[in-house]
Amino acid sequence: MSNMSDEESRDKLLKTVKKEVKQIMEEAVTRKFVHEESGSIISLCAAVDACLSQGLKRRAVGLFKGNNYTFSLLKQLSKNYAPAQEVLQKVHEIELRLEANKKHSNGESPSNHTPQQNIRTALQQRHLWIRVALFEKYLAKICENVSQTGSKYYDKDCLMADPVDGPILASLLVGPCALDYSKMKTADHYWTDPPADELVQRHRIHSAGPGVTSGNNSPRRPGLQVKKTATGTTPEEHCRTPVSARDYVESLHQNSRSTLLYGKNNVLVQPKEDIALIPGYLSLHQTALHLTIKWTPNQLMNGGGAEETETEGEKRRSDSIITRLKNGRRKPIYWDYAVMVNVEDIVYLHCHQQPDSGGTLVLVGQDGVQYPPIHFPKGGHLLAFLTCLENGLLPRGQLDPPLWSQRGKGKVLPKLRRKSSKSSGLGMAASQDGTQIFEGDEATDYVFRIITSFRPEFIPEEASILPVRNGGSRHHTAFPWSARDIGPRHALIRQQEVVHSPTGSSPSPVPLPPAIPYSPVSPTSAELAAITSRWDQYQGSSIRILCDTMRRQIISRAFYGWLAHCRHLRTVRTHLSGLVHPVIISNELTEKASSGLTCEKWAELCTMEEDIDEGEVMRLIYFGGMDHEIRREVWPYLLGHYKFNSTEEELSGVDEGVRLNYEQILAEWMAVEAIIRQRDKDNQQAKLSSENSSEGQIPLTGHDPSLDSEVFEIDDDNDEYVESGEVIQEVDQADLTKEQQDFVQKEDYVVLSRCRSPRQDTLETETGRSLGSEVSGDVPCEVSGDVPCEVITGGKMSPPGSDEGFGDASSITDSTSRHSSRLASSSYSYDSREVIHEGQNGDICSDAEDIDVLKKSHINEADEEGSGPEVIARNGDGKAITVELVNGKSHDDAEEDEKAGEEGKEDEEEEDEDGEGTVSSSRSSADPVLGMKGLNIPDSSCHLMADMATASPASSNGGVYSNELLDSFSLNLHRIDKDVQRCDRNYHYFTSTNLEKLRNIMCTYVWEHLEVGYVQGMCDLVAPLLVILDDEAKSYSCFCELMKRMSKNFPHGGAMDTHFANMRSLIQILDCEMFELMHQNGDYTHFYFCYRWFLLDFKRELVYDDTFAVWETIWAAKHCASGQMVLFIALALVEYYRDIILDNNMDFTDIIKFFNEMAEHHDAKAVLKIARELVHRVQSLIENQ
Amino acid sequence: MAKTYDFLFKLLLIGDSGVGKTCVLFRFSEDAFNSTFISTIGIDFKIRTIELDGKKIKLQIWDTAGQERFRTITTAYYRGAMGIMLVYDITNQKSFDNIRNWIRNIEEHASADVEKMILGNKCDMDDRRAVSKEKGEQLAIEYGIKFMETSAKASINVEEAFVTLARDIKSKMDRKMDATGQQKSGGVKVTEKESQKKSGWKFCTLL
Repeated sequence: MSNMSDEESRDKLLKTVKKEVKQIMEEAVTRKFVHEESGSIISLCAAVDACLSQGLKRRAVGLFKGNNYTFSLLKQLSKNYAPAQEVLQKVHEIELRLEANKKHSNGESPSNHTPQQNIRTALQQRHLWIRVALFEKYLAKICENVSQTGSKYYDKDCLMADPVDGPILASLLVGPCALDYSKMKTADHYWTDPPADELVQRHRIHSAGPGVTSGNNSPRRPGLQVKKTATGTTPEEHCRTPVSARDYVESLHQNSRSTLLYGKNNVLVQPKEDIALIPGYLSLHQTALHLTIKWTPNQLMNGGGAEETETEGEKRRSDSIITRLKNGRRKPIYWDYAVMVNVEDIVYLHCHQQPDSGGTLVLVGQDGVQYPPIHFPKGGHLLAFLTCLENGLLPRGQLDPPLWSQRGKGKVLPKLRRKSSKSSGLGMAASQDGTQIFEGDEATDYVFRIITSFRPEFIPEEASILPVRNGGSRHHTAFPWSARDIGPRHALIRQQEVVHSPTGSSPSPVPLPPAIPYSPVSPTSAELAAITSRWDQYQGSSIRILCDTMRRQIISRAFYGWLAHCRHLRTVRTHLSGLVHPVIISNELTEKASSGLTCEKWAELCTMEEDIDEGEVMRLIYFGGMDHEIRREVWPYLLGHYKFNSTEEELSGVDEGVRLNYEQILAEWMAVEAIIRQRDKDNQQAKLSSENSSEGQIPLTGHDPSLDSEVFEIDDDNDEYVESGEVIQEVDQADLTKEQQDFVQKEDYVVLSRCRSPRQDTLETETGRSLGSEVSGDVPCEVSGDVPCEVITGGKMSPPGSDEGFGDASSITDSTSRHSSRLASSSYSYDSREVIHEGQNGDICSDAEDIDVLKKSHINEADEEGSGPEVIARNGDGKAITVELVNGKSHDDAEEDEKAGEEGKEDEEEEDEDGEGTVSSSRSSADPVLGMKGLNIPDSSCHLMADMATASPASSNGGVYSNELLDSFSLNLHRIDKDVQRCDRNYHYFTSTNLEKLRNIMCTYVWEHLEVGYVQGMCDLVAPLLVILDDEAKSYSCFCELMKRMSKNFPHGGAMDTHFANMRSLIQILDCEMFELMHQNGDYTHFYFCYRWFLLDFKRELVYDDTFAVWETIWAAKHCASGQMVLFIALALVEYYRDIILDNNMDFTDIIKFFNEMAEHHDAKAVLKIARELVHRVQSLIENQ
Repeated sequence: MAKTYDFLFKLLLIGDSGVGKTCVLFRFSEDAFNSTFISTIGIDFKIRTIELDGKKIKLQIWDTAGQERFRTITTAYYRGAMGIMLVYDITNQKSFDNIRNWIRNIEEHASADVEKMILGNKCDMDDRRAVSKEKGEQLAIEYGIKFMETSAKASINVEEAFVTLARDIKSKMDRKMDATGQQKSGGVKVTEKESQKKSGWKFCTLL
């Protein structure tokens, strides 16, 4: 036994490894590389680890720390095996590095490291040595080594010790080892569309969880665009500084988010006073909003490997670092030295140039703090940096004084007169070869000022001309650009506000300087002079002007905000006020009600003397829910089945009445069902009896209540397809004998005639095949003298059935008269009439000579008529003929039949009309008997007859059921059956008995509403009612009440569009951001992901218990909060996952997928709570106009 | 979402209710079968990525409610669909008969060059078969569409069906992009040609 399980476990382990290897290789092939952080690597490492750990003798390996036995194994191996040793070394290094990073990043902003990344790193570290071995391509060799020499570490029967499996593992790993693993992290690295659960999980990790409103649900002004990254999977990246070394280093390169303007290696910085100069990489980055100077020590650039040659000081530094690490003390590391400065924060650039070095740059911030000096190497690099900086500052800012361009030399440092009088020749020019020439061997220092503020010169001309008026509300017109263009100007305005503080004085009409269009071109000297002079002139007034401008902008912004708010409110008032009750429930009442309707409370209420306050009950349920035990009692009140404060007698009276009613209807439709079944049976028999082969068996299988009365129902949907249950075919065979069945089968589309005499049941086809069979006595034809001959189609063709004589021909043209007569005379339509289906076109003609099956339109006509048993066919000329194969006499004789049939045909072609009524009347005379007695049918044919026996007596009162009614009902029965079989089979309540109850309720309802019929989804609505109430009649009554509201949601009702429109408005009002997302992502407006929600009141989205809670909230809400609670719950669902939706930039398809996957995973309580809050919010909005 | 595929094909599953569309889809996307499935309400879709000719093809397969009442929402998806699977139940004659209607529906609402395929599902229930394989093939030939008998329960032909449909879509796409044309008649790819040729030409004579 243990051997088996060993083998099994070995197999299992190997299988896992195989699977992982396969996955990696697939990934490598399809994606051309495998990223180091790929999840499949993690799983592969885990699998390999599992293999290596199996049966590992702990003591032999040495008790090392933790459970990391395989690591200990590695250590053992490393003693003798070189690759293992290398791996070990590498692991050490990495561990050091990781520890260092971790400590450093803990010092920085801990929240920056997303927990998701944390998990990944943790997982990576767990099998660190395996990972490393994999990347170093040693893993396969190590495994081989283990299996060859490492048997002393293993139990006998485990994988690695096995002479076969061990090498297998090793060879499996050769593949992954051969791959190159990329460190490259590209933006579209995240490969799968994560399933909904994972999205929720991720979100839960890096925030408090879904459903925690981030507080920005307040209506935001539309127009404030929050920039989202294109991929959106890690949206936090763009606003957080990357922490891991690799990320940081990557951010230094050119990437999609920032442009690299300048980069220079070997730029020395002395980060702290006691530390020597450290070489590093200086870079200038421009993003959309910022210009950033970064300096990174070389050690970090290389990923911490310290592979660069270090100065002595460095070496000492790194040694001491290691020593200090070993002592476990904290110490600063290169991260601290890295410099990252926003150019906005800098005011001055001090440039010092020394004869021996390339120049030093000191950045001075706005607060006066100086950054560590940056030493450029020789060769004009300082100048280059300044050039790039100046370029980067444009157009919003510039250096002051700007760099001069010199012909032939490009940009040079400006030759300015120095205040301290030195010889004017003291300037610096960059020479051709880039060395600097110092005149007089003196260095020159420069101070550049960075100007980024908004300058009055840049007001566009038109704005400056417009008169400046007092009064706030006009100003927005004076500056249309400022009002319109909130986005891009925002930055400027912000800077302006930062630099200058508003003085609040009223704007005085100071003439603005004429607008000078800003140009990045170096100004000519004349313009320079002009600018500078004007600048002097307006320096004094510029501040005031700035303040004015700012004021106007603030006012205009406020105005537009108010305007938008008003518009919102108008929308709210027009569209949404109908959605909520105007009366807001006071806080006090809310508090009282939040405990919910408990059993005790309900009991208390019931036994009270005074009347129950319906409102109170509703509030209790709405705010606090209901206990499960009392649901059975309370739901009928909620649904309107009972009225509150009724007496016992009244209640039982209601129940009694309902039950009686129910049973009556039940009986009615059951009778009809019986008739339908009988009809089906007859058809089957007819079909069967036309079989050729005479085996004389009569296997009458149980049949289906459905007739193949596939109808193209003529209702509003004109393309109504045939709904057929699976068992239809059985029906066809049901009461035909086997040979009859076979016979029928062979004739696909041929008109048959069936003639039943008391003794014989003959089926024959048009082509002359016939099958006669003895029938023993229980053919129901004995009743009357008539021998009904039915024309039955095998396969698909419509069966005519007809009786004696040729009387039954009917033409299409005369459908109406036929109709009326038929109706009049037909009672239980035993016309074995099968409707021709639309679907039969040309291809069936093979057998039927000259007969095409009717096209739909004609059939529809015919159907409507309740046409009797006949076949209406069309020959190739398109002329309508009725083929009738009729005769009333006994037909044992095939030929005779055929002749008769042909005669019939000929007759048809001649006559257009037929004798009316005979068919049905004869049929009907036969039928009622059948209907009544219905029990003459042989038992084996119909086990269902037993059911009918109970019902049919009642049916004897019965009315007249037209064919079309029967067909329609039978069609609905199909649909119901199909759905009932599939309804919530996994739920414990639905045993077959209870399913039967469900079916009964459904059929009863459909019988009463036959014009609408059964639509998929109705069963889902009945099911919870039945589960709670457990009483057919009561459930039926409650369902009827429920459907008063719900039926509009079904496709024939048209309420769905209203719901979608309301959803749209609600989202627009309550959540601008979401609305924008939906808008921008395309055609969301139909909100189809809500379809199922509204149709079934969320029943499919929730588990049963939650469904109960939600339903009662909806019902209670109608009385106290909102008649459209479904909308708010729907909105609450969207809001609950709002962050996930927004973060992942979901489009319509994604949302559908998300919510379908989240079905039955929702937190119903939380969602309901949000829904209530939303109702409250809308109520407040309306109130606070 | 991030692009990790080369092509995205939208497929649609239509057919009468109860023929097994959801099961076929489930079999294809999850390789599983559940006999207690609930009826599809509204619309749903599943995704599976396959590889064809070295390209990653993401198949987004939409599953519709069979009852015609839901047609208003389902037909909205016809237009975007590049491939449509018409499913019928071999034990149910009517569902087979209705295929023609579904095809007409496609003509009305879907794009003209949509790829189609007919599936006769539940082929594991041979004892209750009502539609012979020949009939199915006949119908398919008539419309110039491919045909397969499948069983979601026994996992017969499901994968093949979808892969074939995807392949057809892809080759059609390749051909379209292939400017230096392949001629329609006597073209190089004989096998696929025939099926493409006939599609779309047959229906003008109907009502």
